Amino acid sequence: MSVFEASGGISKPIAPGPKPAASPGRAALRQYLYSLSGIAGAVILLLLVAMTLFGPLIYHVDPLDIVAAPFTPPGSDALLGTDYLGRDVLAGIVYGGKATLTVGAIAALITIVIGVTVGTISGYFGGAADTALVKVIEFFQILPPLLFAMVLVTLFGQTLTTITIAIGAVSWPSAARLTRAEFLRLRGLDYVKSSRAAGATDRHVMLRVILPNALPPIIIAATLAIGVAILFESGLSFLGLGDPNTMSWGLMIGQNRNYVLDGWWTVVFPGTAIFLAVLAISLVGDGFNDAINPRLRRRI
Amino acid sequence: MAPVLSVESLNVGLRATNGVTIPVLENLSFSVEQGKTIALVGESGCGKSMTALAIMRLLPEAFVVSSGQIMLDGEDVLAAPMPRLRSLRGNRMSMIFQEPMTALNPLYTVGDQIAEVLRLHRGLGRKDAAEQTLALLKAVQIPAAAERINAYPHQMSGGMRQRVMIAMALACKPKLLIADEPTTALDVTVQAQIFDLLSRLQDQTETAIVLITHDLGAVSELADDVAVLYAGRCIERGRAHEVIERPRHPYTRGLMACVPHLRLGGEASGAPADLDEIPRMVPPLGERDAACAFLPRCVFADEICRSQLQPPLQADDGGHCVSCWRWKEVA
Repeated sequence: MSVFEASGGISKPIAPGPKPAASPGRAALRQYLYSLSGIAGAVILLLLVAMTLFGPLIYHVDPLDIVAAPFTPPGSDALLGTDYLGRDVLAGIVYGGKATLTVGAIAALITIVIGVTVGTISGYFGGAADTALVKVIEFFQILPPLLFAMVLVTLFGQTLTTITIAIGAVSWPSAARLTRAEFLRLRGLDYVKSSRAAGATDRHVMLRVILPNALPPIIIAATLAIGVAILFESGLSFLGLGDPNTMSWGLMIGQNRNYVLDGWWTVVFPGTAIFLAVLAISLVGDGFNDAINPRLRRRI
Repeated sequence: MAPVLSVESLNVGLRATNGVTIPVLENLSFSVEQGKTIALVGESGCGKSMTALAIMRLLPEAFVVSSGQIMLDGEDVLAAPMPRLRSLRGNRMSMIFQEPMTALNPLYTVGDQIAEVLRLHRGLGRKDAAEQTLALLKAVQIPAAAERINAYPHQMSGGMRQRVMIAMALACKPKLLIADEPTTALDVTVQAQIFDLLSRLQDQTETAIVLITHDLGAVSELADDVAVLYAGRCIERGRAHEVIERPRHPYTRGLMACVPHLRLGGEASGAPADLDEIPRMVPPLGERDAACAFLPRCVFADEICRSQLQPPLQADDGGHCVSCWRWKEVA
């Protein structure tokens, strides 16, 4: 019998019911594990996070304490040498990671949350709301980001919180533009029209239909935003606007920048740490992006 | 019986930046009864899809309904507030789009997308919705429906996707189904299957169908009534077989002459008949005259045509209407 003959829905259960689908999450994970670079990124990232979480429990050296003569090269006195004040570089890396990674993650989160919200509203509704929001975006975009962040940090104090917020405040416009552009592209597509023709609410169309399809570039932007935020924090520290009471990788580079030629290790090791963190995050973002795309998923 | 859908003197305009409204649809009227099909035919750019979008109230930005009335099952669609309109869409009236390739969301399985409609309008739980979805997929004759329910759109062919679209559109047993060139993107054998499926489902559900097409073969197979649109105006309307067998308007006659006829056997030995065409193009928006819109392309055009406004739709006893000053002489 046909479903249409039953007026009050299905009159008898259909056997056998649909097989439970392989859950999208599990299929995505399987796809992720196919990508070598994704795995490499995840491993590096996990190692860095583990180091910043558990390192301080194992390695009991205060990163702000003077432990040996300045510029002691890597060796038995200090594993990765000491900086211009005689502070342990390894301790700096172990303890500084927390600040650097936290600032990166939270600033990127602020960037994406503000950017995606503004971009979604502006791109979906268009019209006057769009015009107004684009003006706001443009206002923030014409400010030179580093200068603007420096002003914010100088005005509100050199603490990690201000630095994080300042980075988020200067980075969101590009995320907003990107999201807006994706919404403009997607909102005219047939499946968006079709879901409106099926009676979906604006909210549903925005969040469940368009946004998931707009995610790939947004995820790339988010991973880049973490990298940019880490570099930004390092840049601010390099310019002497870091939080001097909290060790971070950027601060180490910033404080030792004048002595690169006297002790390469004071800059190279924290620099490598930043490099690895940014690289790992963008590899993970790439792998994640492929994993959530059902088109790329292998059929098993 | 009161018609399921009646469109009365519908006017749709494009609001230009300088405040002028350019007419897109003019004085369009037609109606469909339960279980019946009306076909809207015409060339591209004649306003067929605009009519569909106006009924669904999904007109693109800058397009506005300037006057007229659209009644769905006794309810004024144009006056319905937004929440009411949302509960009409997908539930009482639904729409199938032209391109099955792009009309399904690539990120969700087809089962999820059909179930979504059921959950939205019928308030079904996850399990009930999945069961109904499976039954719907079987009703639209998708083989191995139990497996296909978990397939993503890109894993299906165009014909399969159009079946999914049909299942989605008919999920809530709507009173009215608007099919906007449902088979244009499909190959001929699949087209026939889809039309066959639509008419079979229509028999079961008693859904009224507005079929937008330029496939006159489909019209003769599926439609009860036909409205021929030209440049946003209805120029001929009547029973499908009447209009196809005895077209009155020069434009309709031109359209019929554009359809190739396959000739086999003895017939095929003679020289092939030339396939006619209608010279020139549909006048673009904003360049439509108050006189008969078909005038510049009409081989029968006369003084009377040039001196008068667009002729009104004149009906004969059988309800076959035509908008032409000279149809009696021409036909």
